[in-house]
Amino acid sequence: MNRTTTLRRFGVSLLFASLVSLLAAPVAASNGAVGLAGASQDNLAVPQWLYLATGGATVGASALLASFVTDRRFIERVHSWRTSVALDDVVRRGLGIVGSVLGLALLGFIVYLGFTGPQAPTLNFAIIVTFAGLRAGYTMFTYLVGDTWRAVNPWRTVATLLPNGFVEYPHKLGRWPAVAGILALVWVETAAGVTRQPNLLAMAVAGYSVLTLLGALLVGPDDWFDCADPVSVFLRFYGRVAPIRWNDEDGLSVRLPGMRLVTDDEVTDLADIAVAVVLVWELTFSGFVTTEQGAAAITAVVEAGLPALVVYGVLYLGGFAAFLGLYVLASHLTVRRIETFETPRALAVRFAPSLLAIAVGYHLAHYFAFSVSLSPMLVGALTAPLSPPANPVVLTLPAWFGALNVVFVLLGHLLAVWVAHSQAYDTFPSRMQAIRSQLPFVVVMIFYTIVSLWLVSLPTASPPFL
Amino acid sequence: MSDTRNDGDGPDRHVCERCGDAYPSARLLTLHRGARHPDDLTADEVEAYREAYYAEERELKSFRIRALGVLVLMYFGFLILFILFAS
Ligand SMILES: [Zn+2]
Repeated sequence: MNRTTTLRRFGVSLLFASLVSLLAAPVAASNGAVGLAGASQDNLAVPQWLYLATGGATVGASALLASFVTDRRFIERVHSWRTSVALDDVVRRGLGIVGSVLGLALLGFIVYLGFTGPQAPTLNFAIIVTFAGLRAGYTMFTYLVGDTWRAVNPWRTVATLLPNGFVEYPHKLGRWPAVAGILALVWVETAAGVTRQPNLLAMAVAGYSVLTLLGALLVGPDDWFDCADPVSVFLRFYGRVAPIRWNDEDGLSVRLPGMRLVTDDEVTDLADIAVAVVLVWELTFSGFVTTEQGAAAITAVVEAGLPALVVYGVLYLGGFAAFLGLYVLASHLTVRRIETFETPRALAVRFAPSLLAIAVGYHLAHYFAFSVSLSPMLVGALTAPLSPPANPVVLTLPAWFGALNVVFVLLGHLLAVWVAHSQAYDTFPSRMQAIRSQLPFVVVMIFYTIVSLWLVSLPTASPPFL
Repeated sequence: MSDTRNDGDGPDRHVCERCGDAYPSARLLTLHRGARHPDDLTADEVEAYREAYYAEERELKSFRIRALGVLVLMYFGFLILFILFAS
């Protein structure tokens, strides 16, 4: 027992040493949202290959370190720790109404001011609130604190007030419609200019509202927002990482961050795995096309004679298929490595929640600095929607903020490693199996880390031909 | 207290009576029952679980030593790489 503790301590100091060495190198890059972001970039003081290798090795080393923790009871204590705060019924209903009103008001202002407000991205309420607010800040709130979208969602509010549920949702589709929807929304965000032109954004939001309402009224809001609506599914999956959850029985239920991923069996089929992968992939993709190197690669292929949209489309969908394929391949390799009756599909489902922890790390890396620097603008827009400022204020961030990106990517992966470790202990009776089962998944995670760290370190550019 | 059967081809299925989970070997079933349903075990079964558990402890110990070796190699490997290449 004593020796294990010493080993563990040694391991932890190793981990810190590698993190510190990463931080000591001034890796600065901002990889903000497609339209609003300005870019800054310093040169790496370590060669890029070494920086990437160190990141990958950190994830690998932490998986090895986690494998020293073989005490089932300790692992269980960590992921089943919980406490709850009772919430008065009146308070809960009041908050629900406030949320609904807020949601409806925001939607109204986004569409109205998108058309009538100043047609400049940094001045327009619609663009600021959609991208600095919902896409960046609110999503962060959703995974760092708790998912409140159910109460805020303006389309749900409207759909529940009208007659609905005329046909049964085809449940064999699972969440595939949401996967397609998220891919479509990210495509619109990257390619359609909605981050730059407020009236286009307002049009897109209005179109989305019509589709969403039609769908929700047709199959009923519960099934629609649970399975088909991309925004709700997106936020709901991110919300699984959050420590707080609002529920009817015990008010606020509080857990350690990410630990619901271990205990709540909310990922049930391939479509759910695809949702988790799509969250990781969309950030990787928008990271890639907004870097100088990515832009250069795309320009080269387009100049060789391929239409730009085809190049983007193939990269976008092909990359998603590759990310999903790699992950499913890992589950097949795992089943082959150990004696078990678990099917590859069942294992893929088991380990998929850990992908959400990775997605959270990437989201923070992509949007944290962005959202801090635009926060005065967002506050201004929200407090005075009808009077846009003459000079929007943007905070200038100190250079070390760039290093945070690296820390976020790594922290996301470390949480993912721990979630996978706990999941493995829940699944396999033998501790050796639990350790061996993770290896292919850890290799896939190392690959994701390296790709992501690479993207975070590149200078940003605006995507060509769009 | 477990039922073992073989459906033609493929490995034996050792099925846990309590929860229905199946394992390809008796050892895994023993480990499963010890970890998941410790209160159901008879004294003999507890003994069998202990044995399987400690047998695995030895395997884990050798794994830990190898893992530690890899970590040390990685640490010094990267230390040297950083000394050589970082500026
Ligand atoms: Zn059982």
